[in-house]
Amino acid sequence: MSERPHVSSYASITEAVIGFAHLLRQEGWTVGVQETQDALVAASNGTLDKPDTFKYALKAIFCINKEESERFEPFFERFWGKRKGAVKSRITYKNQSNIQRKSPGSLVWMGQGKNEEESREEGKNVSGANKIERLRQTDFSKVEEMDSELLEELALQLWKQMSLRMKRRLKASARQGKIDLRQTIRASIRFGGDPLDLRRRRRIPRRQRLAILLDVSGSMDKYSFFLLRFIWTLRAHFEQVEAFIFSTNLVRITDYLDSKDLGRTLALLTARAHNWSSGTKIGMCLQQFNEHYAKQVLSGSSTVIVLSDGLDTGEPELLAGELARIKQRTRRLIWLNPLKGMQGYEPIAKGMSAALPEIDVFNSAHNLNSLLELENYLTHV
Amino acid sequence: MPKPPFIVKDLIKDTETITRGLSQLGYVADEELATILFLMLRLGKPLLLEGHPGVGKTEVANVLAAYLNTDIIRLQCYEGLDVNSAVYEWNYQKQLLSIKIQEATDKTEAEKEAHIFGEEFLLKRPLLQSITQPKRAPVLLIDEIDRADEEFEAFLLELLSAFQISIPELGTIKAVHRPLVVLTSNRTRELSDALKRRCLYHWVHFPDEGKERRIVQKHLPDIEEQLLTRVIRAVQAIRQQKLEKTPGIAETLDWVQGLQALGFKELTEEAMAKSLGCLLKSAKDIERVKAEGLEALTEP
Repeated sequence: MSERPHVSSYASITEAVIGFAHLLRQEGWTVGVQETQDALVAASNGTLDKPDTFKYALKAIFCINKEESERFEPFFERFWGKRKGAVKSRITYKNQSNIQRKSPGSLVWMGQGKNEEESREEGKNVSGANKIERLRQTDFSKVEEMDSELLEELALQLWKQMSLRMKRRLKASARQGKIDLRQTIRASIRFGGDPLDLRRRRRIPRRQRLAILLDVSGSMDKYSFFLLRFIWTLRAHFEQVEAFIFSTNLVRITDYLDSKDLGRTLALLTARAHNWSSGTKIGMCLQQFNEHYAKQVLSGSSTVIVLSDGLDTGEPELLAGELARIKQRTRRLIWLNPLKGMQGYEPIAKGMSAALPEIDVFNSAHNLNSLLELENYLTHV
Repeated sequence: MPKPPFIVKDLIKDTETITRGLSQLGYVADEELATILFLMLRLGKPLLLEGHPGVGKTEVANVLAAYLNTDIIRLQCYEGLDVNSAVYEWNYQKQLLSIKIQEATDKTEAEKEAHIFGEEFLLKRPLLQSITQPKRAPVLLIDEIDRADEEFEAFLLELLSAFQISIPELGTIKAVHRPLVVLTSNRTRELSDALKRRCLYHWVHFPDEGKERRIVQKHLPDIEEQLLTRVIRAVQAIRQQKLEKTPGIAETLDWVQGLQALGFKELTEEAMAKSLGCLLKSAKDIERVKAEGLEALTEP
C-alpha cells in the first residue's frame, strides 16, 4: 500500500469505518466484525456530529487496554483528520441513507466477512503463541537482543501468575478443616438439636518462609539479570521472602525489593553491590549467611533456594559444611543451577559436587519454564 | 435476547445532555467519558473502566445510577469469589427446617423436594439480583474484577453475553431487564481479551488541573480561591513524583478539608507539614515528598 488510507477515498461512511477497522487491524489491533458493527451503530447515533465525540466513541469500541488507547489518536487523526469540510458534508449526507438501509443484505455481507477475519486472526494468534512457547524454553544467556524485552515482559507476567496461584492455593487449602463437634452442638441448640450449622476448626496455615541466595558473580552474569527480576516478583507476592546476593561477599537485599518500582530496585542494588560480577566464594558467603542471618531468617519450616552455577573458587569442604548447617535449619534446600540446562552437563565442578549430597532438589534455572517449575516444589508440602 | 435497558429517551439524547445531567449531580465528566456513557447506553454494552486506585472509577457507576434514577447493585470482587457468593445460594437452614416441618404431612418425596427448591429458599446474590429487578434495569457494578479468579471471569463472560443464569434445580432465569454493567479494574492483572472485547473500554486518568479544580469546587463550594489553586497545583506536582501510592481525588478532597479544619487559609510550609497525612498514606511517601522539598510545592 503506497498511500495511507484516508477517509476521503471512501464512497460512504460505512466503507470508511470498515476501512478504518482494516487499518487498525494492520497495525496490530484485534478488531473483529463485532467492533466494526458497533462502530457503525455509534456513527448512526449522532456521534459523527462532533469530531471529538466520534473519536472517543471509536476509541472506546476499538481499544481494549491503556496502551492501545494511547496509540489510538494519531491513527484516528491521520485517517479522519484534515480535508474535513468537504468530506464531512458528504459523509453525513451519505451516512443517513447508508445506515438506515442496514438491511438483511448488508448484514449477510458482514457475516461473510466474519469467517475470513476470524481465520486470519487465528493464524496471527498461533504464531504469537509459538513465539511465546519458544521464548519460554530459550536459555536466558542465548536470548537475542530483540527478544529480551518481550521475554522480560512475559517473565514478569508468568511469575506474577505463578506467585498468585501459589498464594491462592495456600488460602484455599486453609478453608477446609475438621468439624469441631463442641461448637457444632452448641450451635445446633437453636435448631432443636440438629446440627445444621457445622462449625469447623481450621489449622492456621503456617506461613512459608523463603530465603533466596542469588549468585551474582561474573560467570552468572547473563542469568542474574533475569533471576533478580524473578526474585523481585516473588517478593512482591510473598511477605516472607528474604533475599541475598553474593559473589565474594554476601549482601542482604530484602529491603531493596520492597520498592514497587523494579527500575528503582535495580538502581539501588547496582549502587550497593560493588562486588557485582567478580569471582565467587560460595562457601564463605554461606558462612556469612549462617553467622549473621540464619537465626532470624530461617525457621524449621522454611525453604532455602540457592541460585548459582556452583563454580566456586573457595574450599569445597567449607561449602559442604555450611550447606549442612543451613540444611539443619530448613525443611528444604533447593539449588537451581542455570548450567544444568546445558546438554551433557555433569555436576563435576568441585563446589557443585561437594554440595550435591546436602541438596534436596537440584534443578536447572536457565529458562522461564524451568523457573516456573519451582512452583511445584514450593506448594507441595 | 432480553429487552435492552429501558431508559428515558430524553436522558440520552446526546453527550451534552449527559454532561449537564451528571454535573447537576455533582459529578464532573469530560467529553470523553460522556461520549462513552452515551455509547454504553445506546449500544447496551458493558463498560470497563481501568485506572489507578482513587481516580473515581466506582463513582462513575454510582452517578450513572443516580442519573438514570435506578438502583445500583454492587459486586465487590476478591480472590476466591465463587458462584455461591456472586450468583445464588440455597438457604440450607431454612430447607432443613422445612423438611422437618413437612415430616408429618403426607406429601410425596418429589413434592417435598420441589417445595424446598422453590424460589423462597433461594438467596439471591448480586448477579442474580441484577437480572431479576422487576421495574427497571439497574446499574450492576462489578468492582475490581481484576481481583477475582480467572474462572470467575469466564463465568462473567457467559453472563454478559446471554444475560441469563441457569440454576439446575430451578431452570434458566432470563433477565427481566438487561442491567447496565460497569466493570472496574485496578489492573493488578491483565483481564482476558475476550472479556475486554465484549466491553467498551475507558482508561481513567488522574484529572488535570482544570478538572480537579472543578471537582473540588463541586464538593466544597466554600473553599477560598487562593487555597484551592495552591492545593491543586501541589497535588498535581506530587503526582509526578514516584510514590508508592499516588494520591487520588478522594485524597485531594480529604486534604482540603483537613486544611480547612485546621484553619489554614493558605498553603504554607507549616500547613503542609501538618496535614500531609491526609494526602499521602504511607510513611515512606511522606518522607520522600518532604525530602524533595516542601517550599517548591507551596510557592505561589
